[in-house]
Amino acid sequence: MSLTTLAQTLASGALLGCFYTLMALAFSMVLSVTRALNLAHGDLIILGGYLGYWFWSGSGLHPLLLVPVAGAALLPLALLWQWLFNRLPEPKELSSLVLTFGLSLLLQNIMLALWRGEYRLIASESLTGSIRLGGLRLNQGRLIVAAAALAAVGGLYLALTRTRWGRAVRATSLDREAAALLGINVDQATRTTFLLALALSGGAGVLFATLHYLYPAGGIELTLLAIVLTIWAGVGRLRSVLVAGVLLGVIEALTVAWSGPRWRELVVALLLLASLLARSGGLAGGRSH
Amino acid sequence: MALLEGRGLSMAFGGLLALRGVDIAVEEHQVVGLLGPNGSGKTTLFNILSGLLRPTAGQVWFHGTRMTDLPPWKISRLGIGRTFQIPRPFAHSTVFDNVLVGVTFRPRHRYHCPQDRRRETERLLGIVGLAEKAAANANELSLGERKRLELAMALSTRPTLLLLDELASGLSPKGREEVIRFYARLKERGLTIFAIEHSFRVLAQVADRLLVLDQGTIVADGRPAQVLGSPRVVEAYLGEDDHG
Amino acid sequence: MRRLTWIGAGLVAAALLLLPPLSGFHPYYLYLVSTALLFGTLATAWNLLAYAGQISFGHAAFFGLGAYGAALASLGRFSPWWAIVLGGLLGAGGAGVIGLASARLQGAYLALATLAYAEIWRGIAHNWSEVSGGGAGLIGIPPLPPLPWLPLDFTRGRAGSYYLSLAFLLVVLALFAGILHSRLGLAFAAVREEEERASLLGVHPLPWKILAFALSGFFSALAGGLYVHMVRVVEPDLVFSRYFSILPLVMATFGGLHTLLGPATAALGLYLVSELLLQPYVPVFHQLPYGLALIVVVLYLPGGLAGLLPSPRPSPHRGEGR
Ligand SMILES: Nc1ncnc2c1ncn2[C@@H]1O[C@H](COP(=O)(O)OP(=O)(O)OP(=O)(O)O)[C@@H](O)[C@H]1O
Ligand SMILES: [Mg+2]
Repeated sequence: MSLTTLAQTLASGALLGCFYTLMALAFSMVLSVTRALNLAHGDLIILGGYLGYWFWSGSGLHPLLLVPVAGAALLPLALLWQWLFNRLPEPKELSSLVLTFGLSLLLQNIMLALWRGEYRLIASESLTGSIRLGGLRLNQGRLIVAAAALAAVGGLYLALTRTRWGRAVRATSLDREAAALLGINVDQATRTTFLLALALSGGAGVLFATLHYLYPAGGIELTLLAIVLTIWAGVGRLRSVLVAGVLLGVIEALTVAWSGPRWRELVVALLLLASLLARSGGLAGGRSH
Repeated sequence: MALLEGRGLSMAFGGLLALRGVDIAVEEHQVVGLLGPNGSGKTTLFNILSGLLRPTAGQVWFHGTRMTDLPPWKISRLGIGRTFQIPRPFAHSTVFDNVLVGVTFRPRHRYHCPQDRRRETERLLGIVGLAEKAAANANELSLGERKRLELAMALSTRPTLLLLDELASGLSPKGREEVIRFYARLKERGLTIFAIEHSFRVLAQVADRLLVLDQGTIVADGRPAQVLGSPRVVEAYLGEDDHG
Repeated sequence: MRRLTWIGAGLVAAALLLLPPLSGFHPYYLYLVSTALLFGTLATAWNLLAYAGQISFGHAAFFGLGAYGAALASLGRFSPWWAIVLGGLLGAGGAGVIGLASARLQGAYLALATLAYAEIWRGIAHNWSEVSGGGAGLIGIPPLPPLPWLPLDFTRGRAGSYYLSLAFLLVVLALFAGILHSRLGLAFAAVREEEERASLLGVHPLPWKILAFALSGFFSALAGGLYVHMVRVVEPDLVFSRYFSILPLVMATFGGLHTLLGPATAALGLYLVSELLLQPYVPVFHQLPYGLALIVVVLYLPGGLAGLLPSPRPSPHRGEGR
């Protein structure tokens, strides 16, 4: 591999990593507020992607404009998710995993029913060009996706650190009871977290659909990626998630460049197993910092 | 040489020092009592001695072998049994099974025939007076019964040293009398007993030696009469007895 | 009284199970019921692991290892019967390996590790083409030959395959019952209920957990081996499919964790409802019952269907009469 191709691969992986960051944040927001692991996370993203595809093929609008539309389309599901997650018995980590395994199956079935398992891609012409930057040629679509993802991550960062809402969410995720005693409306904080997380997932789905072919069973890989990132970065630590996301994007790009795309899923699963074993304290371990 | 010896045991939970350099020694065939106000670190000491916690500093020897880093199951196999202050049975199993586990998996005095294991289990249940409750689920028992089950479980591995954590507290006066008789009987059988009790009346009657722990340090150590006469202990305990 | 009821129910069930082939079922239905029985076995094997307190999200790994092991051995001119056993051993080994992870991981995190493990094996099967045939898999797997003392045709849709799946399920159920009443069952239950307490009673938890994984993996892998010899092809996305992880989990939790007959019963019920009632009319939603069953169990039925029975089934180690 020549130096330019290597640099090219690294840059393109880093851009993809920005998307992963956004996706993982949506996952870890729900985890930090409810202690629930949402295995259907990736399926929600794929669903957002299919909805985006549907709107796009119907309207021909620029995919970026459809990001908020797909996000809004998942809002009713956010309320359903919250309703279900509220009823989880202890231990929540495990029961949520079982519940969302079922939800993931249902979502896949619904997508199969609606889109018949066909592979779909938002192949908008506005995304196909490439831009020269120094000696590198960067795919315009990836740049736009990365920029959109970074904008969303940045907005989320500001919302969580600078607003009353953000303080309420952070307090709720640190200690629910204590937060409630301090007069914080934890139910509202939880609900808004779900709404925001699923809206972000839906929007992320549209971005994803411009990069990768969608297929109904493709969500699990995204879920596994989100879990890996959450393990690496710890729950609710936005800057580390960004670093971890970029790292993961680069690792993936290198894997694909060296050994072909067939190895991607295998590498993701290996990373997950290794990360779980290396950090055996559980995901919430990162929360104490 | 003492049967059980701990030197310089310290335990820190984050910033909280639960034990600060505790030295203990328990001689064979003795009943040693451990007293101390709430939160003084008694249970923490037992957790170290049974292998549930690794001390932040210090070492423990049993029969002259160092066992500080051993896992609980190895320590159990060396011959240390314990009860929990708040009983922790296998809640959804029968009382019988709760005791059968220790009888089945102990390395010494092992019975190879299931019949013998069952008989031994019944015998242990008889000793603690739970024979009729054998088929009940552990979570159906009253507090007093659960404490007896704790004792039977601790005995089920045939330990040489028993660590008993507040066996008498929470019981009626009659229950306490019974516990005192238990201590005497267990001692007769040649067991060594290291017992935490909140109430020193219980311990005064049976203990050969008393230790008093306060805020993680040993503040008194000696024969019961000596210890209970010491002004410091009297001061720490006056009026506490009936809460235990 | 209770015992008589159970025996009666057992006889009725046995009659119902023996009847279909005799009464001239269409081969497709026979095939469905055989598959349902295999899922019953898989759910029972899953439940065995759960009995030791370990929740798996990756039984597809063991099923698939058994399937590939048996297929490869069979294609390598082993007798298919021995090939299935070899596949079973491969599955047991593979399960034991991930069982090691239970030294460091518990509950949800161990479940995630098993999920990743199944994905890893699927990835290996996809990529190690020289051995596994890659994404296209392996074809030409020989059918199960008739046994000298039992001249039945064991291929898909025949009475032979039906009886074989049934016998296999009954054997696994009998073994499960035996295990519950043995030292193994005692250790498994102790480790499940309170690992720490068990270790204070001299039980070293890790070997028991690994053993539970290996046993569960063995039975699942045997089911995988049988399955490939009935359908006679093996592909990564077929035998390492996530359904072989989800379905046993759904069936066992829906039927009642830790009960003897619950998982197999639920497996038969759910699978047949899905295939007979939904598949013909609303094919795209034929997996709906599994997802719904899982949601219902988690939210409303902590004990599964068995929890609805009037009184809990007696625990195997009841003190009286033993
Ligand atoms: N696992 C733990 N994590 C953090 N702190 C702990 C832990 N275990 C005990 N502590 C703290 O250590 C101190 C000593 O507790 P310990 O249970 O040993 O007291 P004790 O003497 O047994 O009290 P009691 O008479 O109430 O049983 C207490 O302040 C307790 O809160
Ligand atoms: Mg205590």
